Amino acid sequence: MSDAGSFLLNNSNVDHSAYTPSSPSSPNPSHSLPAGTLGDLPVLSMNGITCRFNEVIANNDVHLDLFKGEIHGLLGENGAGKTTLMSVLYGLYKPEAGEIFVKGKRVDIKSPLDAIGLGIAMVHQHFLLTPSHTVTENIIVGLKSPGRSIFLRMAEAEKRILELSKRYGLKIDPKAIVGDLSVGEQQRVEIIKALYRDIDILILDEPTSMLTPVEEKALFSTLSAMVKAGLSIIFITHKLKEVIEASTRVTVLRGGKVIGTVMTAQTTETELAKLMIGRSLTHSVGHRQEEIHVGIEKSPNAKASAGLAKVLELKNVFALNNSGVQALKDLSLTVSKGEILGIAGVDGNGQSEMAEIVSGLRKIQSGQVLIDGRGITGMSPKQIREWGLAYIPEDRLNTGLILEYTIAENLILDRWYSSPYSGKIFLDKHEMRRFAEEIVTNFDVRTPSLDVQVRYLSGGNLQKIVLGRELSKEHKLLIAHNPTRGLDVGAAEYVHKQLFKQKDSGVGVLLLSLDLDEILLVSDRIAVIYAGRIMGVFDRATADVDKIGPLMGGYVAEATN
Amino acid sequence: MTTTLILGKRLSFKHIVPFLSGGLAFLVGGIILYAAGVDPLEAYAIIIKGSLGSSRAIADTLVKTISLLIAGLAVAVAFKCKLWNIGAEGQLYMGALGGLLVGIAVVGMIPVVSVILVLIAGIAFGAMFSLVPAVLKVKLGVSEIIVTVLLNFVALLFISYLLQGPIKAPGFLPYSPDIFPESELPILVDRTRLHAGLIVAALAAIFVHFLWKSKIGFELKSVGMNISAARYGGMNITKSILITMAISGGLAGLTGAVLLAGVQHRLIEGISPGYGFIAVIIALLGRENALGVCLVAFFFAVLLAGSESMYRTLGIPVAFAQTLQALVLVFVLIGEVFTRIHLPKKIKRVDEDKLKIHGKQIGPPAERGKVE
Repeated sequence: MSDAGSFLLNNSNVDHSAYTPSSPSSPNPSHSLPAGTLGDLPVLSMNGITCRFNEVIANNDVHLDLFKGEIHGLLGENGAGKTTLMSVLYGLYKPEAGEIFVKGKRVDIKSPLDAIGLGIAMVHQHFLLTPSHTVTENIIVGLKSPGRSIFLRMAEAEKRILELSKRYGLKIDPKAIVGDLSVGEQQRVEIIKALYRDIDILILDEPTSMLTPVEEKALFSTLSAMVKAGLSIIFITHKLKEVIEASTRVTVLRGGKVIGTVMTAQTTETELAKLMIGRSLTHSVGHRQEEIHVGIEKSPNAKASAGLAKVLELKNVFALNNSGVQALKDLSLTVSKGEILGIAGVDGNGQSEMAEIVSGLRKIQSGQVLIDGRGITGMSPKQIREWGLAYIPEDRLNTGLILEYTIAENLILDRWYSSPYSGKIFLDKHEMRRFAEEIVTNFDVRTPSLDVQVRYLSGGNLQKIVLGRELSKEHKLLIAHNPTRGLDVGAAEYVHKQLFKQKDSGVGVLLLSLDLDEILLVSDRIAVIYAGRIMGVFDRATADVDKIGPLMGGYVAEATN
Repeated sequence: MTTTLILGKRLSFKHIVPFLSGGLAFLVGGIILYAAGVDPLEAYAIIIKGSLGSSRAIADTLVKTISLLIAGLAVAVAFKCKLWNIGAEGQLYMGALGGLLVGIAVVGMIPVVSVILVLIAGIAFGAMFSLVPAVLKVKLGVSEIIVTVLLNFVALLFISYLLQGPIKAPGFLPYSPDIFPESELPILVDRTRLHAGLIVAALAAIFVHFLWKSKIGFELKSVGMNISAARYGGMNITKSILITMAISGGLAGLTGAVLLAGVQHRLIEGISPGYGFIAVIIALLGRENALGVCLVAFFFAVLLAGSESMYRTLGIPVAFAQTLQALVLVFVLIGEVFTRIHLPKKIKRVDEDKLKIHGKQIGPPAERGKVE
């Protein structure tokens, strides 16, 4: 039974709740689903996989079956153990316990080479391609030429790539240089690279994290073409919407354990969410923004001044990126007092450069940047901060914090020179400690002690330290760059609350985020950035994914899918 | 992840390891001595007696400590800021040259003023010389390691050239003229060679200790640890790198000036028997902090002074001291790897329930996708 389409229609009689992942230990777990629905034998079966790092259990007795012709969603929050499980399968980690069966045979996968030999390929979240080589070169790398030839048979390879590309709807030019391709196209190269090796099982790790909504749709249709041709796909994600849209079955992981495996057609986002985070939802989605507002005092003054004064103005800004390529091209935008302007866009379209220019970390080629009416060109990052900028940087581990420092030391990273944190010559240890205690209390930082290096704290707590520092100073403008990336739901929620608080106190917020859902959730206005230009600005009320999506991919006129 | 890591109390293990490593180094050193036909215990006894056995011996050991300490501090300051200054030896020679130029030129001053001028000239010359790699690094991104290593040769050969001609004193040997007596560091204890450089070294150690508690020290250290974060926080990267190297080079130059004013009283080719290189080991073993450098510098001085007397009594070459130093370094470095590997087992695990990290979850991320 390999036709995924009819399988979806036939599975209504499957009792998925009967599938108990902890019980089977037999190498042939065909009892997990009624025979005949998906074929008797799973192509892949992982039994009792346990994997730990030091004392942290990343996978705890995990069972997973993959049948021929299915797209199997592997769902879970950050740190649930999804990637670890797939790394075990791909030979990157050695599990402490557990067995893997491929097509009924017990296998020992020691390296990715073994995995590929067994017909398993993985497309990583960050692609492993050589940018200066062509598509074909990237695809055939590591393979032997047919017939012991010492020459590369490029023409043959190109022909086969075009064949695959046509069969699965993966549009690609085999002669193109990979570095010139968009992220979506590079992903296609990775997928073709896997298909080229005649694989049966394809693992995709968070495949949509860098794609525009349009590219996402194209990917899903490719995947369904692939399973129709008999492949099996494991699709790692933490986005419920995608699982519902693309998968045939879902396995939910939480805290390293399998919570359950269900038929996608028989479940809902709400039910999956419950499984994924371990408790039921108490809010209806539409009310969320208002809900977050509850309990935050709105100062009437802030409301009155909102929308009047411009806190940030960028006028015809041009700038280069680190490799000397034009990153911002004639970019103009404004942020007013008391509003959150969300910048939607795919990674690498000038967001980082924009944030760096406003904070004085990057030189501007031409144009003007005004913060609260004052031109900041020529001002040092220190002067700009003193003038009223708070900045939550994209990379909190390498830019926002010094991991070897304590909380107190990190909190004075931008004010070490000023009273009361230091005197004429020396730092004031007591004041630093008092301030650290204050921030830890106010921002609810969970730390075993004030004296540990912050490297031992979790991502959410690190972000709270950054927030504590940035929001505890006088500021008119807040730049928040991917402020919730890598955070779990609770911590992300906390960050959003803080953004609303800021806005209500009259601060202008520039939110740069790769997460379109986040932009739609918190912004008052939304600007779409593509290739260093603002493609359009929308009021929240008039913006939706269908309008924004195509612009994120650079399609101006083609607003339809 | 459902757990948070906390450093446990048994970290003190980490502090025992360096001593175990040192012991092993002496054990292996003993084997070498035994192979050379010497009773290791007797040899080690002579090292201790020769370096600490009499007031004269202690004075000599302290004289060596002075140079090793200041040079060690010089390197430690740079290393703390992740600037790999391997050029302390060259900076030391340039500092000695600066001290000499003042010492042979300034006459008729109050001795204290004269000595201070010599030392300041040493600091200035060392600092200026260390700014060469610093500027190259800041402006052109050239690695300071390569430049500082190579500048050692430049400095030593330059001094050698000067001593063959321009500043050569009349006579056969390549010596400079003596500095004026008022420029010499006074002897602290009669009938020993212990000079006032000990006070200078102590002041240098205090300076470095308090540097890290100061505003400027925090800036320098932050830039060293993470340039990106320091820039983001508004720190001036270029200024910090230049200042760090100037402090490091200045201290190295001070070492040279102290050797000149306290020991030789003139510039000679071998004014430093490689103190600038041993300083690298001292800085590493002293874990880049002032107190650690003090202890290690004294320990190394004991080894140096002791092995000189071992040479006199047992005929074991002085190079054995270097062998022992190298062994100590190797074992301590191995020990450090050992502590790092075993540390994670000493880390306590705390359950999420105890440290409830995310108390207020509201909705799952996917629900956001549904807004309107």
